[in-house]
Amino acid sequence: MSVVACFKVVPDDTSVRVIGGKVETNVPVKISTYDKNAIEEAVRLKEKLGWKAIGVTVGNTDRKSIRDALSMGLDEVVAISTGYLDVAGTAMALAETVRGISPKLVLMAETTTDSSTSALPPYLAQLLGYPLISYARSLTIHDSTITAERSVGDVEVVEAPLPAVVSVTGEINTPRTPSVKQIMESAKKPVKQVNFSSQPLAELVEVQPFVTSRKKVIIEKPMAEAVDQLINYLKGEGVL
Amino acid sequence: MRILVVSEDPDFFRSSSWIAQQIGGEILGIHPSESRYVDKLFIPTLEGAWELPLSEFAYTLKPDVVIAGGTKRDRTFAFSLAGKLKASVASDVMEAKFEGQSLLVKRPVYSGVGIATLRLKLPAVITVQKNTMEPNLLKGEVEKVILPSSSVVLKERKPAQQSVSLDKAKIIVSVGRGMGSKENVKYAEELAKLLNGAVGGSRPVTAEMGWLPEDRQIGLSGNKVRPQLYIALGISGQPQHIAGIRDSKIIVAVNKDKNAPIAENCDYLVVGDAIEFCKVMIGRLSK
Repeated sequence: MSVVACFKVVPDDTSVRVIGGKVETNVPVKISTYDKNAIEEAVRLKEKLGWKAIGVTVGNTDRKSIRDALSMGLDEVVAISTGYLDVAGTAMALAETVRGISPKLVLMAETTTDSSTSALPPYLAQLLGYPLISYARSLTIHDSTITAERSVGDVEVVEAPLPAVVSVTGEINTPRTPSVKQIMESAKKPVKQVNFSSQPLAELVEVQPFVTSRKKVIIEKPMAEAVDQLINYLKGEGVL
Repeated sequence: MRILVVSEDPDFFRSSSWIAQQIGGEILGIHPSESRYVDKLFIPTLEGAWELPLSEFAYTLKPDVVIAGGTKRDRTFAFSLAGKLKASVASDVMEAKFEGQSLLVKRPVYSGVGIATLRLKLPAVITVQKNTMEPNLLKGEVEKVILPSSSVVLKERKPAQQSVSLDKAKIIVSVGRGMGSKENVKYAEELAKLLNGAVGGSRPVTAEMGWLPEDRQIGLSGNKVRPQLYIALGISGQPQHIAGIRDSKIIVAVNKDKNAPIAENCDYLVVGDAIEFCKVMIGRLSK
């Protein structure tokens, strides 16, 4: 029995900013924020049910980020190297690898912090022919089914047969910080390299800075005066 | 060209229909209540876990372009359909036009720091942002639809308990770690009440520390809001939070640190303690 956690290595969104009229994405990389929740949930299933937890990453196969994922408790990682891939290509690359593993469950984040399309989990589920539970904030595995609470405005409790694809929200858990021992041990864990290429259906033409011009007025004075000044500003804006 | 417009939400259906009419072609729609924004409307009963069955039905309509709303259920539906169609995809689209044999779209990336332009091959499936445009009225011929059954079964639905919905609030008072404790959230609630606004929170205080219910989370994961006035109390302004408030008209931040990232993303920054701010503000507004 196994569970697959999909993750993506992305430019650190706290470092991506506009420099000289260009969106500078040549910044340190990291595992996309909510992908860590997917990894954490896979490791918890491993600890609870004794399943093997396998990570699969597509695109940038940065070694340090893969080590981070292994340190959190994954048993192994399949790293799929690609050129530029769109969602369709990423889903095809994942589907090929996941079929080879034939897991009980595929966990992924509801969205990434780079493109934030939220399309990959449903797309992949269709390619695999698995049922999908999206936006799960908690999950429980039974013998051949999974129950999950979905956070979709309302909260929905749903049940689906396994194997299934489940996308998780940031609410589902708090990803662990690995111990020094786990970090050391991660070096010995297997990382399987795979290559994949496909013609993108969505071509990236350009990325322009999104300029929202905020006034950035700083009010730094005793609070009573600061509040009076703010109220005047807000009345002037017509929002109060 | 056949365009399919779909949303469970009336505002998103209107927004999607407007974009569809700008592109032009035969416009089909799927929406739970009657509308004349499209040539032909299919009305399903959206019960249970309807997203996957609806994608099966939509697949039989053989659309070239699918324009869907942005609710979480809309997205789940749309991108399941995309997987069936082996279509190109884009979400949160602000603008779309047909050019050559492809669809050119603009959408935010990197938590809203950049706007990407993508050229999508057909078939294409996109979800859109809300706009305020009013589409033309078309034939709006109606057909009821019965959806196939699903392998995903809905056991229970707990409706969101929002006093004032974040989606519709004109004023939002939002709290972050800088409020200090769960106990202190009451000051933000009192301020929101006086302003007839809603209370929201950052990811740490909703998803991690439980100061507010999770459905009050504002940001990339959670609610995207567009109030007239957004007051960020003790929120540092991580990119995933900024991504959810970018469309606010006026953003006020209250923070002890004037170098916090929120300073770059607000109109007015009051440097100081968020609790003290609330107390003084409540005093002024109650007069």
